[in-house]
Amino acid sequence: MTFWSANRIRPVENEYGKLVGELHARRKKNLAMGGAEKIDKQHQRGKLTVRERIGLLFDQGTFVELGLLAHQQPVRGGESDPDGTPADGVVTGHGDVDGRQVWVIAYDFTVMAGSMGAVGEQFKAARVRELALRYRKPIVWLLDSAGARIQEAAGSTFAGSGWLFADQVVMSGVIPQVAAMLGPCAAGTAYIPGLADFVPMVKETSSMALGGARLVKAATGEDVTDHEMGGSQVHCYESGVGDNEVADDVECIAMVRRFLSYLPSSNTEQPPLVVTGDPPDRLVDGLDKIVPVNPRSAYDVRKVVKAVFDQESWFELKPTWAKNIVVGFARAGGQSVGVVANQPMQKGGALDSDAADKAARFIRMCDAFNIPLVYLMDVPGFMVGSQVEKEGIIRHGAKMLYATSEATVPKVTVIMRKAYGAGYYVMNGKGYQPDTIVAWPFAEISVMGPEGAVNIIFNKQVEAAEDPTATRAQLIETIRAQITPYLAAGWAMIDDVIDPVETRRVIIKGIEQARDKKIDRPWRKHGNIPV
Amino acid sequence: MTEVKAELVGSVWKVKTQVGAQVAEEDELLILESMKMEIPVTAPRAGTVKEVRVKEGEVVKEGQVLVVLE
Repeated sequence: MTFWSANRIRPVENEYGKLVGELHARRKKNLAMGGAEKIDKQHQRGKLTVRERIGLLFDQGTFVELGLLAHQQPVRGGESDPDGTPADGVVTGHGDVDGRQVWVIAYDFTVMAGSMGAVGEQFKAARVRELALRYRKPIVWLLDSAGARIQEAAGSTFAGSGWLFADQVVMSGVIPQVAAMLGPCAAGTAYIPGLADFVPMVKETSSMALGGARLVKAATGEDVTDHEMGGSQVHCYESGVGDNEVADDVECIAMVRRFLSYLPSSNTEQPPLVVTGDPPDRLVDGLDKIVPVNPRSAYDVRKVVKAVFDQESWFELKPTWAKNIVVGFARAGGQSVGVVANQPMQKGGALDSDAADKAARFIRMCDAFNIPLVYLMDVPGFMVGSQVEKEGIIRHGAKMLYATSEATVPKVTVIMRKAYGAGYYVMNGKGYQPDTIVAWPFAEISVMGPEGAVNIIFNKQVEAAEDPTATRAQLIETIRAQITPYLAAGWAMIDDVIDPVETRRVIIKGIEQARDKKIDRPWRKHGNIPV
Repeated sequence: MTEVKAELVGSVWKVKTQVGAQVAEEDELLILESMKMEIPVTAPRAGTVKEVRVKEGEVVKEGQVLVVLE
């Protein structure tokens, strides 16, 4: 796996040979990680070792390790155990992913439970952060760590710690950051995934929580396990901190490689173009069988996404959380795109706080990394009512408004069916500078549905009518006639009404058209997103 | 026993099952109407319908139990 390996050790009788031999012996010892017994335990837990993981992450033979010879140092006059702490429990370096340089910080659970010691953190991990940023290359954490090494960290020298998160914030939007959850990630270190762009979680073995189970028991008395509190069943389904739940380490690391394939190495580059072989002008078959013309009927919008974009290119993020909005990467004629699609199958596609939050963060990631956005709109609006107001839906919904407005990458909007109220705005309506905005023939664009509009506008008229039900129905039909896309197209407020089969070509052309897009806005230090 | 709850506030448009019915996973139990949409509520697992706690036209809250499976 590494350029240097144990089999280079050969007996040499002279002084030169002894000295070189010592080096190889030291390498061999540290490459052995926490020893055979600990490695067996790691495997028994269903986990791979840190070096097996690195072997899967990087293209064969490309890994270059920094800090292999590191080990724990005595802290504050205390003892250290150089022999028992190979590499100080964290493997660091760089390698290639599909031929592009990527940096890694990988915790070794077989060495002091992967705990974060002074050497590993202040020198090794810090070095990787420094160099990844200096060269503008992505950084990947392979997390499997009990957290801070308390025997080194307890006490007021804690005052000097914590700058890793400040580093992460500086790197945010400059280089992609991935936190792969392959084991525990306890206490403050859970902010590594908290700040990362992508957080896959292995089912059963991974967990993250601001306080581990023992700390929770001491702080509040609550009895809970690390897994119950912070496993993928919490973070990929309820909290939204995790992105995708995966079955095991192998799937997790394959997913990290896939995620990186859609992104540029940094914000100064364009995402890589991939030859997918799917013709850009292909007519999209089968949409008539996926999307019901009856606007009240649900369908799975992911089928539309798969039909429209390059074959096998769809990579959904956060698929099990806030399912009423679907976000993920796809390729359009080989070009990476970020897809934001309403999901009528879940909550009717209505937007709520979590959906707005999920979409806003995804939109900002795409905008930061030069990935064009495609909005597939079928939205009855934002959820309304007392429940969502208590959650602060105005504040959360405003995040999505903010993200969509702020994004200056090419933006294409396809109004498939419903485009109602503020839902139309946040899905990149006309006011949000779409580069192309088109509608399908059965689209409905309006501030609200015909029923709601009649209740408000014609309430008295309906009450006074001889046959209120018939009058109401007639008025509803009158309004319905005005929400067809031809009124908006007649005003040239939207660019076109298209046959759904043309959707793929229109999206690809719309992105191409905006390739040289430049948007100048007034100088500011930064905006004030309603987080 | 599994409680099937409303995922959002709405009114019950159609009840498509009854007490004693055998249902498979993903079978439609009832349809809610909310936000201009018909929102199917499906069985999270196979089982027998033990209770139907709502009737057509009734307004339900988010999290309210609609059907109990056994």
